[in-house]
Amino acid sequence: MSEFLTLVVPMWVVFTLAAQGTILSGRTGVFNVTQEGVMALGASVGFVVAYKMGSNLGGLLIAFAVGALVGLVLTVMTTQLRLDQFVVGLALFFAATGAAGLLYREVIGVTMTPPKIDTLTKHEIPLLSDIPVIGEPLFRQDYVFFFVVLLSVGLYWFMQRTGAGLNFRSVGENPKAADSLGINVNLARTWSTIVGSGLVAVAGAYFPLHFTGIYTDGMIAGRGWLVIALAFLGGWRPLYVVAGAAFFAGMDVLGQKAQVIGLGVPHQFIEMLPYVATLLVMVFAFRWARQPAHLGSNYDRESRLAG
Amino acid sequence: MSTVEQTPPTPGSGGPPSAPAPRGHGSGAVTGVAWTVLPYVASVVLAFLVGGLLIQAMGYSAVDALEAVLTSSFDSRFGMVETLHKWVPIVLCAYAFAIPLATGKFNIGAEGQLLLGATGGAAIGITFSDLPAVLLLPAMLVAGVLAGALWAGIAAVLLVRFRVNEVLSTVLLNFVSFRLIDWVATSVWPDAGAGHPATTPVGDGARLPLIGEAPGLHSGVLLVLALAVFIAVGMRFTPTGFEMRAVGDNPRASLINGVKTSRLAGAGLVIGGGAAGLAGAIDVAGVQGRMLEGMQSNFLILGIIVGLMARGSMLALPFIAFGIAVLEFGAGTMQLVASVPVEMVLVIEALILLFLLLSDIVRNRLRGAA
Repeated sequence: MSEFLTLVVPMWVVFTLAAQGTILSGRTGVFNVTQEGVMALGASVGFVVAYKMGSNLGGLLIAFAVGALVGLVLTVMTTQLRLDQFVVGLALFFAATGAAGLLYREVIGVTMTPPKIDTLTKHEIPLLSDIPVIGEPLFRQDYVFFFVVLLSVGLYWFMQRTGAGLNFRSVGENPKAADSLGINVNLARTWSTIVGSGLVAVAGAYFPLHFTGIYTDGMIAGRGWLVIALAFLGGWRPLYVVAGAAFFAGMDVLGQKAQVIGLGVPHQFIEMLPYVATLLVMVFAFRWARQPAHLGSNYDRESRLAG
Repeated sequence: MSTVEQTPPTPGSGGPPSAPAPRGHGSGAVTGVAWTVLPYVASVVLAFLVGGLLIQAMGYSAVDALEAVLTSSFDSRFGMVETLHKWVPIVLCAYAFAIPLATGKFNIGAEGQLLLGATGGAAIGITFSDLPAVLLLPAMLVAGVLAGALWAGIAAVLLVRFRVNEVLSTVLLNFVSFRLIDWVATSVWPDAGAGHPATTPVGDGARLPLIGEAPGLHSGVLLVLALAVFIAVGMRFTPTGFEMRAVGDNPRASLINGVKTSRLAGAGLVIGGGAAGLAGAIDVAGVQGRMLEGMQSNFLILGIIVGLMARGSMLALPFIAFGIAVLEFGAGTMQLVASVPVEMVLVIEALILLFLLLSDIVRNRLRGAA
């Protein structure tokens, strides 16, 4: 059990981090679909920087900056120029996917054995890490894990417990009303998309920096899309996302361990689990989960259409 | 937010991106065409300019690289045949994206639908390998279409019955299909000698006849050409085509006027899946001779790019797909000649798309000033 949790927790970090980044912009009405590409780009940038600079923190920070840059392009094209969010998102997803492979090939080249970096060191919290079963997986982790915990609590506090958070959420629920109350709609959308996209890229950088130590094309393997499903499932709320991410991470680990588990079923069918489970969960998620009313629609203050 | 369409997310202004009508007051047909074609030309030129600067900045020769990208398809018969063989799956995957898009739905699952179509086709081609081509070939292509349509049908049912967002369901089905075909290629009809997960070859009767001297062009190209005409006419002149476009333009008005919008949206997905499935079956019958892992290449992304660039015009779509096929074939040559990584071409294609989107704004500003 403890062993299983030790595998699930890092995957939980990935899902939580990327999903918090997604709901951050989603709450202001910007529907970001660039995750799959931005995570790949984050992985590539994070690896290359860590490899060349020898600093994993540097890799994470520059991955954040590059992700933020993609977010900036997305937000300028959608809030300022009011282009379709989904279409721009797809185009940026393609560009980011291409850029990820391009950067790696350009800096590292084609090699027989891929270069490897040291993964992040784990820090132990005294006493707490001695608790049976959960102590080891939860309290002996790298700093990204502790950052994600703090981020999730902080986002929850900001969105659900502060006046500024209420204003922030109102931008995604009814931008016109928010605007009439003097809330700067475009500003909220801009910063939330920039920061959110940066967090998504860091989630991608976590793959080479925590799991593998190497970068490979396609290492994100659809998790960027699962993150969007997670955001819907979590009703775009930080704490629900934390819980949902545990489910997604568990499925992910089961899928990865398919060949070890056996069960008498061809391993390929166990590997389908994360995706099939998500499809089934979506059936319910779209029944009861809430979403920001203006998710995915651009705001034009001069438009005469209501809402 | 109306209660008519609760399937999130409803992107932007609602409905697919379409070119603003080129018929402004006081402008004739010629200026109309110019306003439509000019953004494409400008976007391509700008994207190549930016791409060229990137290549130069990376320390390669931009002129050599871009020349290789643009001309290698036309340098030899081999280049043209290979380009047309790439064109087939690209154009079909573009239909897989563009037909559902006409009803306002996004099919991001062409990859999985293509693989299922290839598997369906290969299944027939392997099981009945003794049949003559007259029977086997059509049966195989039909099986491919059905398998692709069935795979997209899962997403369609989830959409129509359970209101599950079609973007997510189609994408997730891609990843399910990868595992499924891995199982087929390693356990059901494995070819141990292939050195790569692949099925055993299909029977000779399941191979598309080749045209002309070697390297021969497979006849699937002609089939797709005929299909392109059929689709362009169908979307423009049939009642169903009209209804599909109406739903895409204004789902609410269509619903009020008695169009069964959600059923039509589901049908759009299924037809799109059939197109992608056909792409898989043709690739088996014409190029690979078997189903193998990785045969989907990056046709999903290329199909979406072409589908978005066509902006709802089923007439323009095959031509744009040809342009993209030229770039894609050129990408390999570029890597050989100028050692620029092939990913550069994907970046250029994404840039073309982004500039094309931006051109709307520029055009509107220009027209506003005029």
